[in-house]
Amino acid sequence: MSNSTKAPGMGPETTAIAGIDAKETRFTKLARTQWLQILIVLIAIIVLFSIAAPESFPHWGNVRLIIQNASILAILAVGMTFVIVTAGIDLSIGSVLVFSGVVAAMVMRAMGGDGWGTAIVGIIAAILSGIAWGLFNGLIITKLKVPPLIVTLGSMGIALGLAQILTGGVDIREVPAVLTNSIGYGNVFGTVPVISVIALAVVVVGAIILHRTRFGLHTFAIGSNEESARRVGVKVDRRLIAVYTLTGGLTGLAGVLSLSQFSTTAIAGQTETNLNVITAVVIGGTSLFGGIGTIIGSIVGLFIPAVLQNGFVIMGVQPFWQQVAVGLVLIIAVYVDQVRRAQASRGGDAGVWRHLLARRRG
Amino acid sequence: MKWSRTLTITAIGALGALGFAGCSSGGDGEGDTAGSYEFAFVQGVAGDEFYISMQCGMESKAKELGVTVNTQGAEKFDPSLQKPLVDSVVASSPDALLIAATDQTAMQAPIKAANDAGVEVVLVDTSIEDPSFAVSAIASDNIGGGEAAFKAIAEAHPDGGKVLVVSVDPGITTTDQRAEGFEAAVAENDKFESLGVQYSHNQPDEAARIVTASLQKDKDIVGIFAANLFAAEGTATGVKQAGAEDLTIVGFDAGPAQVEQLKAGTVQALVAQEPASIGEQAVEQAYNALEGEETTTEIQTGFTIITQDNIDGDAADAVYQSSC
Repeated sequence: MSNSTKAPGMGPETTAIAGIDAKETRFTKLARTQWLQILIVLIAIIVLFSIAAPESFPHWGNVRLIIQNASILAILAVGMTFVIVTAGIDLSIGSVLVFSGVVAAMVMRAMGGDGWGTAIVGIIAAILSGIAWGLFNGLIITKLKVPPLIVTLGSMGIALGLAQILTGGVDIREVPAVLTNSIGYGNVFGTVPVISVIALAVVVVGAIILHRTRFGLHTFAIGSNEESARRVGVKVDRRLIAVYTLTGGLTGLAGVLSLSQFSTTAIAGQTETNLNVITAVVIGGTSLFGGIGTIIGSIVGLFIPAVLQNGFVIMGVQPFWQQVAVGLVLIIAVYVDQVRRAQASRGGDAGVWRHLLARRRG
Repeated sequence: MKWSRTLTITAIGALGALGFAGCSSGGDGEGDTAGSYEFAFVQGVAGDEFYISMQCGMESKAKELGVTVNTQGAEKFDPSLQKPLVDSVVASSPDALLIAATDQTAMQAPIKAANDAGVEVVLVDTSIEDPSFAVSAIASDNIGGGEAAFKAIAEAHPDGGKVLVVSVDPGITTTDQRAEGFEAAVAENDKFESLGVQYSHNQPDEAARIVTASLQKDKDIVGIFAANLFAAEGTATGVKQAGAEDLTIVGFDAGPAQVEQLKAGTVQALVAQEPASIGEQAVEQAYNALEGEETTTEIQTGFTIITQDNIDGDAADAVYQSSC
């Protein structure tokens, strides 16, 4: 955990205690964070692909499409980071996204019109329906004490089923043109996709909330040890409901953004979204056991599968290899996280890489 | 631990090797042979014998013309999975994009964007809402296929009865047209009653569930039309699970599993499309467009009805391939 200053005759206990007091440069502290190490992996992948396909991969035209396609997932990843940091999980995001899109589309279709008035009502309707599902999840998890995995597994099915009931299984394809043109495919400064700017805003606000507010601090505390947090006076139930509601609201927003990009409710879609987002968040260094995580790590973790897929497609690699690669990266990332946790609990002073590469003493 | 060091180095090496393995297994780079075109084929879903047969047809025609075809497909028939693929394909600057769109509305904008970026587009199998910018749209005569499927059921049950359609998802032009053709033919025949169209989301187990539930509700169903490969596989399973007899199942597509079911007698007829022919013509149309020659905007390919009588004879060639 630090550069220990070993005095002669110091045993392991004194080393650890001395370690707490010893100064650690900002740089070494930064260098040990999971998200920076994952960023290095992402940069390595980007460099590999740029060498392999220099005419197609490292161009702004390609990069902006990667970013555009990752934008909706980034918004979902922000919410998921909060949830996983509390040692919970949310499997329902794909279905709630579809449901919110359906609600928005039905409201906008009922209102008629193509302009911003209708669009804004639709956006609000989508966010509200997402918040409703988040409340549903949060209340059942906290009040009925059902594990998050089970609750969100259930709401995943219910939300999708309700979406299909509402539409009779037929996609709604009438979306106000202003949504598609300015948000779905619109650009800021000519080439930066509007949808990515929105995602960036959500990411920044999410990061501020998680890392700089008391709400975020309580979120980490609940994830680290829920019982201790409760005894210290953190209103655990209320915080958890807030976290799931936040995720729900973000999913609702993602739903209307998806509507703007595809111009259809795409009820049959978003089948793998929940697992893809969880993979991204875990790769980024958020621990499934709670208490540790960063928003920026989740975003970096999101780009690894996206860049891998993009690079493989450009190079003409068989599609199935992409899944193999993402699975491998996920396992390696979680292994690294495990090693780091073991190190931290043992009070060790070496970084992850030093631990992995060093020979055992004795 | 000593193994931890080797393990770590192996892991890093594996990641690097994966990158370079991709290098060698994939294309050798863009435009290495002067004048040879590079086409990209984006399937509706990977691992489906219909699209694999199409790929085989494309590759054989491509070899003839000196063109390379690079095939990609998502794990599920899902526009949210297909869109990033199309975007990545466009970044590799192929000369033409041959694509089976997973949703006629959702894929409209990404495919149009590909065309705007200078890539010639040929739509195979499924189409989009406004295909006017595409070089060509090639598909089976799906409405005729649906009608033919009903004819097969009507012949097997001259007294009439209830019929059910198991389709995939609304919004897929091909299966919608097959259901349309079937339902129109049912409407014209007084002896038959249609129980409507159910959607199996391209999952055989979902189709099986739908069928067993429907058979519980209506024990006097005489015919089921399954609108694509996975739907047909699941329907046959469902009928077998329910133990229903004297039921005529007509499936669309003739993958190896379906042919097994046909030979075993669980399925009575298969409407086989000609995916290899679709693939060959797609490559030809794209090539013609790039060479400045004449192209055909709409091509309809035919189908073969396979039954136990002709499976070993004339119809043997109509079976789909699972690898090229």
